[in-house]
Amino acid sequence: MEVVQILQGIISLILILGLSPLFVGLVNKQKAIYTGRAGASILQPYYELKKLMKKETINANSSSFISTIAPLINLIAVAAAAAMLPISFARPLISFEGDIILFAYMLGLARFFQVLAAMDIGSSFEGMGAAREATFAVFAEPIFFFTIGSIAFISGFTSIYDIYHSIRLDNISFVVFIIVCSISVFILAVTECSRMPVDDPNTHLELTMIHEVMILDNSGIDLFLYQYSSYIKLFIYVILEASFFYPFAVQSYTLGIIIFVVVIIILSAALAAVETVTSRFKMKNIPHYLLFATAIGILNLLIYTFTK
Amino acid sequence: MDLLFYSLLLQLSSIAAIAFFTENKKASAAAHLLLAAGLITGFITTLTAVLTSNFILKDMNVFGISTSLFRFDALGLYFLCIIQLVAIPTTIYSYSYLKHYIEKGKSVKSNLVFYAVLLTSTQMVVVSNHAILFLICWEVMSTSAYLGMIFEKEKKDVQTGAFYYLVMSHAVVFLLYVFFFFLHNQTNSWLFSNFHLSPDAGKLFIILYALGLIAFGMKAGFMPFHFWLPRAHPIAPTVFSAFLSGIIIKMGIYGILRTFQFLNPTPEWLGWLVLSVSMISAIYGVWYALAQHDIKRLLAYHSVENIGIIGIGIGVGFIGSAYHSVPIQVLGFGGALLHTLNHAVFKSLLFVGSGVIYQNLGTRNIELMGGLVHYGKYFVVLFLIGSIAISGIPPFNGFISEFIIYNSFFTTAKELKNYYPLLMLISAVGLAFVGGLAVACFTKINSIMFLGKERKEVKHFNISFYEYLSLGIFALLCVAIGFYPQPFIVIVNKVLTEGFIPAASSFSLLNINWYLLSIIFISASVGIILIFLWKRSIQKKYGRRISSAWGCGYEGLNPRMQYTASSYADELNEISKTALVYHKKVDKQKEIFPLKGKFESHSEDLADNKILLPAFRNFSSFVSRIRFLSYTDIRYYIAFILIIITIYSLIAFLWK
Repeated sequence: MEVVQILQGIISLILILGLSPLFVGLVNKQKAIYTGRAGASILQPYYELKKLMKKETINANSSSFISTIAPLINLIAVAAAAAMLPISFARPLISFEGDIILFAYMLGLARFFQVLAAMDIGSSFEGMGAAREATFAVFAEPIFFFTIGSIAFISGFTSIYDIYHSIRLDNISFVVFIIVCSISVFILAVTECSRMPVDDPNTHLELTMIHEVMILDNSGIDLFLYQYSSYIKLFIYVILEASFFYPFAVQSYTLGIIIFVVVIIILSAALAAVETVTSRFKMKNIPHYLLFATAIGILNLLIYTFTK
Repeated sequence: MDLLFYSLLLQLSSIAAIAFFTENKKASAAAHLLLAAGLITGFITTLTAVLTSNFILKDMNVFGISTSLFRFDALGLYFLCIIQLVAIPTTIYSYSYLKHYIEKGKSVKSNLVFYAVLLTSTQMVVVSNHAILFLICWEVMSTSAYLGMIFEKEKKDVQTGAFYYLVMSHAVVFLLYVFFFFLHNQTNSWLFSNFHLSPDAGKLFIILYALGLIAFGMKAGFMPFHFWLPRAHPIAPTVFSAFLSGIIIKMGIYGILRTFQFLNPTPEWLGWLVLSVSMISAIYGVWYALAQHDIKRLLAYHSVENIGIIGIGIGVGFIGSAYHSVPIQVLGFGGALLHTLNHAVFKSLLFVGSGVIYQNLGTRNIELMGGLVHYGKYFVVLFLIGSIAISGIPPFNGFISEFIIYNSFFTTAKELKNYYPLLMLISAVGLAFVGGLAVACFTKINSIMFLGKERKEVKHFNISFYEYLSLGIFALLCVAIGFYPQPFIVIVNKVLTEGFIPAASSFSLLNINWYLLSIIFISASVGIILIFLWKRSIQKKYGRRISSAWGCGYEGLNPRMQYTASSYADELNEISKTALVYHKKVDKQKEIFPLKGKFESHSEDLADNKILLPAFRNFSSFVSRIRFLSYTDIRYYIAFILIIITIYSLIAFLWK
């Protein structure tokens, strides 16, 4: 049993790590279709990663050992967070009481080194991106606790797997609660993964970027590692969102996987649609946007607590 | 336990060594050697006593004389362990620190004497069982810290900063006198081991708690009594500010835990009070730290934050005590105790690091630093370990204690049900918010001080062997507690179960699977190394070169164009601007080709400016109103004293 569980965990992790570029390809393809273009193949992110791997690495002349180790730590921290997420009913590789805290703080570790590596270049462009990333993270952190954390406090479970599988659909106020939570998680995903309307990954102007400007001076294998970990990070948040729908599977493995696939395709469509119809916010308004997500989280929680 | 007293004597003998050698250099070497030897023997004795549960609670023999002046219980020995553990590397650093002054021709003897007295008296504080002995040791500790602080007494800011500390210490001692006299009055004993009161004592119970919490909380630096921290730390010699932040403020925590031991179970509202004050301290401390440019002042505000985090654990423990719930108490107090050790370690590391920087650059202003990584790579690695640890990020020690505190929230929600999940969730969000701000703050100081290009020419950046040794020991502890918490958790658990929490055997901190965390951290590190090797081989294949940074085609980038600490934290500081604490003045440029501009920003402490300073001012104006009693002749004062004594005696006589 134990061995089977570990195997399931490993397979889940490999799936997450392997499929994350595909998700980005899926989003980009749909975005192209919505805007009336043919678009690149959905396997394009894989080709790009392969291309990056074969490029020469260029480091800025003021960079130090931070630039060398930051991409590695970034990738491993994000991968460790990915190892805590369930796919269908398989128990994740890392699953213990309180792993929700480790999950949040592993992403914090990734952010810490990403910001340091950006500041390592000594250019104002990276400085701007780093300052924005650090500022928005301060507001994004509470959202995570007000959504997934609040389910943990209500259900009494502290492991991400148990938290999601404790969701029951028999209580109508709880269902409403979960739906609003999933909206907050969507906003969180958009912020943390630097997608529209918080950050525009396709812009060509350094002054308006967050994530892209932080990795402006990276190339070759370093850029490969950063890009790959940002793909994984997006996929992590998508899984956080998709996991809300597992209760529909009623303890069936295959049904769980079908739900997983369907929800992910729907989410990629949603993300592509949002990115097609909205434009990027003014930088000044982003904290308001995040506080809005926090506010609906709090309101939702209060309503649930008092109608229970 | 005699060995422990021998070790104290060995430490005190360093004073004799200072008197014996006339030459500063020899005196310093001899004194530090004796101090280190005394501390190491003391530490080994304490550690074995804790590990073998060799606690002495009542009468004991000191050099063959039976006495009840001292007590070696689990809590006292735990704090003794922390003091000695942190003092060893601090003493090693002290040797190299004072060498700089000796080379400049300044006499360091007095400073050394105060340091030795400070060390021994602090160790005495945690083992004394008699209230009067405790107060004497406490007073000696506070005074010697003050005397050590005014090492550079010719500077004006040193005088004012140290004065705030002195005022605080006296207020604390005054409150403690009242506290212990009340306790004596109730229990008819001066011994800590006999002090115990239950809530049945009514109003007095609350008064005692208020006295204890205010007095010890002032020493610990809880908001709004934190005013002395950002003033005293920057001006103190680094050795003293490291010891002050690492140990002395922890004595406040020790006092609060002792207060709990005397007076329990606590009422629930008290737990909430402590929890909310601590939460405010934590957020307040880190928020102000973000606006600071003086590295030591910034670290001082971070002490307020971390004391807040320790207080959160204590608050949860109080709530658990109100409900007689063992798991809540174990997790709450356990998190607080472990964070006390952790903060002592990483804060001392950071203070010693800031001292090294100050010695080399001659400034504490981080806006004038930058690019130090190109001068001292290993130094930056050590400082970075401390920074990651203090931000509570895995895999270092800060994470372990915060993890326990988060778990205490979860357990409280689970045990007490009702509206507790909501309240505990808010606490967890608060702690996460503090963590996010700490990350912003420590990425700020690390990147501004060490990374990029140097903003001001670095003439020399030498780090001596002793400095590396001291920093290395601290960093090793951060890594050890983070990667392999099990043995440290065993010790904390022992402290909790043996005498601190009544009937605590039903739940233990070891219920959490600490080995699993170790395995995760170690395998993640192995993963990083493997990817590093892979990356190396890829780079060998496809090449790597160094080139200038991207500047939109502009080639003339210079260090002054880099992001500064102000600009990095600007967006967050803008928010506190609405609370009237952050002021910014920018000269608007009108010409198309601007020539000269000016920008200034400064932050004010809200609690200071709006609450404490006006209170002090009112008090002094009140005092000046009764100045008519002030005379130049001392005989008047003697007369006043006699009159007061007569009145007191009359009252006492009539009372009977």
